[in-house]
Amino acid sequence: MNKLVSRLKGRSELGLAALLGAFGVIVILDAMSLNVPYSQTDPVGPKTLPYIVGALLLVCAVLLAINVLRGGHGEAEGGEDVDLTHPTDWRTVVPLLGAFVLNIALIDTVGWVISGTLLFWGSVWALGSRRYIRDAVISVVMAVGTFYGFYLGLGIKLPAGLLEGVL
Amino acid sequence: METFDLLMQGFSTAATPINLLYAFIGVLLGTAVGVLPGIGPAMAVALLLPVTYSLEPTSAFIMFAGIYYGGMYGGSTTSILLNTPGESSTVITAIEGHKMAKSGRAAQALATAAIGSFVAGTIGTALLVACAPVVVDFAVSLGDPSYLAIIVLALIAVTAVLGGSKLRGFSALGIGLAIGLVGADPVTGQQRLIFGQPLLVDGLDIVVVAVAIFAVGEALWIAAHLRRKPMQTIPVGRPWMGKQDWKRSWKPWLRGTAYGFPFGALPAGGAEIPTFLSYVTEKKLSKHPEEFGHGAIEGVAGPEAANNASAAGTLTPLLALGLPTNATAAVMLAAFIQFGIQPGPLLFDSEPQLVWALIASLFIGNTLLLLINLPLAPVWAKLLQLPRPYLYAGILFFATLGAYAVNLQAFDLVILLLLGLLGFAMRRYGMPVLPLVIGLILGPRAEESLRTTLQLSAGDISGLWSEPVAVVVYIIVALVLLAPLALKIIRKRRPESVLLGNVPQTPDETAATDDDGGVANGYANGDNDSDHDKEHDKDTGSALPEHAGSSGGDPAEPAGRHRSDKIQNERERS
Amino acid sequence: MSIVVGYIPTPEGEAALERAISEAANAKAPLVVVNSTRGDVFVDQRFVQSDAAQALDSRLAASGVEHILLQPMGGNDAADEVLDAAETHRADLIVIGLRKRTPVGKLIMGSTAQRILLQAECPVLAVKA
Repeated sequence: MNKLVSRLKGRSELGLAALLGAFGVIVILDAMSLNVPYSQTDPVGPKTLPYIVGALLLVCAVLLAINVLRGGHGEAEGGEDVDLTHPTDWRTVVPLLGAFVLNIALIDTVGWVISGTLLFWGSVWALGSRRYIRDAVISVVMAVGTFYGFYLGLGIKLPAGLLEGVL
Repeated sequence: METFDLLMQGFSTAATPINLLYAFIGVLLGTAVGVLPGIGPAMAVALLLPVTYSLEPTSAFIMFAGIYYGGMYGGSTTSILLNTPGESSTVITAIEGHKMAKSGRAAQALATAAIGSFVAGTIGTALLVACAPVVVDFAVSLGDPSYLAIIVLALIAVTAVLGGSKLRGFSALGIGLAIGLVGADPVTGQQRLIFGQPLLVDGLDIVVVAVAIFAVGEALWIAAHLRRKPMQTIPVGRPWMGKQDWKRSWKPWLRGTAYGFPFGALPAGGAEIPTFLSYVTEKKLSKHPEEFGHGAIEGVAGPEAANNASAAGTLTPLLALGLPTNATAAVMLAAFIQFGIQPGPLLFDSEPQLVWALIASLFIGNTLLLLINLPLAPVWAKLLQLPRPYLYAGILFFATLGAYAVNLQAFDLVILLLLGLLGFAMRRYGMPVLPLVIGLILGPRAEESLRTTLQLSAGDISGLWSEPVAVVVYIIVALVLLAPLALKIIRKRRPESVLLGNVPQTPDETAATDDDGGVANGYANGDNDSDHDKEHDKDTGSALPEHAGSSGGDPAEPAGRHRSDKIQNERERS
Repeated sequence: MSIVVGYIPTPEGEAALERAISEAANAKAPLVVVNSTRGDVFVDQRFVQSDAAQALDSRLAASGVEHILLQPMGGNDAADEVLDAAETHRADLIVIGLRKRTPVGKLIMGSTAQRILLQAECPVLAVKA
């Protein structure tokens, strides 16, 4: 048991392999649930490609799992502004996701101007800015600016929500 | 002469004030995203897709083309001034370019990069004008079996040739194809992978997927690994070149163009190999080989030209066949689909005005880029004063806004978040995102061709190889898949003779075969003076035992080695 | 027992450093040079990069005072970093440079110098360029 734990340690990539496998199973199960009679005009039918894709995913999942267990690992992607010498900074990512989810929850009820302001302000905060007032001013300007920009420039009416009638 | 007339008509469309304005906006945005670390042309075009819904498609594409070309110019500015090559295509430029900048020749490096880009971009676009109609004529003569084979080749080539690990590439491809399946089947109307969710019947909006993978996933990934230490920038004046610099630059420009265009046009050719080949060639032909590694102008001029010519080359398969070969081209193809324009060989016939205006705008955009980049380089460098939180918060903000504006439903934002997290995980575990996006775009078209093909052959599977072109393409697919394997076996038997041919070796071979950065830095004579290099060496050190433990039939081989194989291939062929 | 100086490569910063060196030499106290960055911009001209940091180091060595150069990148304001350093090194004196500010500019940007003046536990010497 302990041996298993130690083997699994540092192998979080197996989660990705599991995800791939799950995708493969879902794709195949979904294709099996389709019910289409054979037709002369469409000998391939809607099931063939899902079977191929599902099989590809399953094979990749198994190979990836084997590869990871044998010590292989994917190279994390570098970039101009990416510093891979320190580990994933969850204290930035989690609040960032929080701001994102908050926006999803609020956008239809309170409207874009308010939820967008919160999204931008929250993201800037999560990313480490502590100039609250300047950030707030910029957030409001961004949200209001895009609201009118989309409305006047593109004819897309973003939800006004609580500020209906004010904007 | 017909082509010439069409091109002139294209110019008359592209030169209207409104389209000139869009070209100008495009090159400005493109240069800006090229200069800014952490945002590239693919992300910029993806973020702009929703905004361009209400635009005339021609104007939108003129802007996108400006962003694409502009990103190349801007990217070379940062790789010279900061030595932070963000894209693999500018890695080579950074080697000599940054050395030149350090020794006080930043102005000349920027000038030869900008003028070389202009020369290569213009010649490359002219080659596009010459080649595309020929390719189209050939392509329209093909039937569905051949077309299917070509799509399969594009999928396999992008997946198997680019990136370090084939296994991870194919995994990404599978995910992309699966996402492409979501929604009602166009032939039978059967609903696939919608999980009872009526909002999924129309399939996942390609705009939402592109924004999620390229913008949200990338922004989250960067946020998780924010670089805190400020980068060292080299102050620069107005770019200029002396007589001697011109004399040393013009031949590398032309040779770089000759390398860049054909590689760009190949599926999975990309800009990496031609920039690298150009660098090696210039080093060999130079009268000042001793300057290489200390800031040789030829080492900037050649690769920069190759880089831009390959960008023009990429547009050939995109416009003539509807096949994307890099991330920006993939997003532009998504834009075609968004506008309801069917990409493929018929594009030149069905949308001649759009296509020729787009091509004409490339000439215009290139000229604009030269005009705004030469005198304004110091101004562009000022963009780097932008605080990071605003940049990445802005990316998330506009990604959300764009994805929401497509259908005005919060459901799309949930999809955006989930796929953004997928993009994050893929970057974390080294799974390339390009195969996913290409699989998503080409999957449905492959399925359509497959069904038409077998319908014609009345279900007989031999219909797949009923055309000679299809047979040839499938043989190429087999070669692409099997060649690395065969090479591996050969290398095992004769370990020394196959390694890298006459390409110069670095003192530390392991560092040279780890990834792109490794190869490139290796050619800078192992002169590790920047942070980039140092970090990289650390990575290599920790990664090495892992690789060693997993060798032997392991599909995950280091990218650098794989790339050397490919370069070796090219050398043998030529 | 030490003297802390906030340093940025500007005339104000240079003036502060010059003064801090002579104060440290007089008091025979170790000198703590703080050059911080919030790390939120791609390029921060106020941050002393490796080449310049070496030059700075040899300059300090030449002056003969005992010294350390701190370059925190923790994302905090310069004021916090200087105050932190003053606390950890039990400073007797903080030396800072002052620059001219319009009232409006000060309102928007806040003031590093002001925060140090108000929050420091020890005497603060403000030097003008």
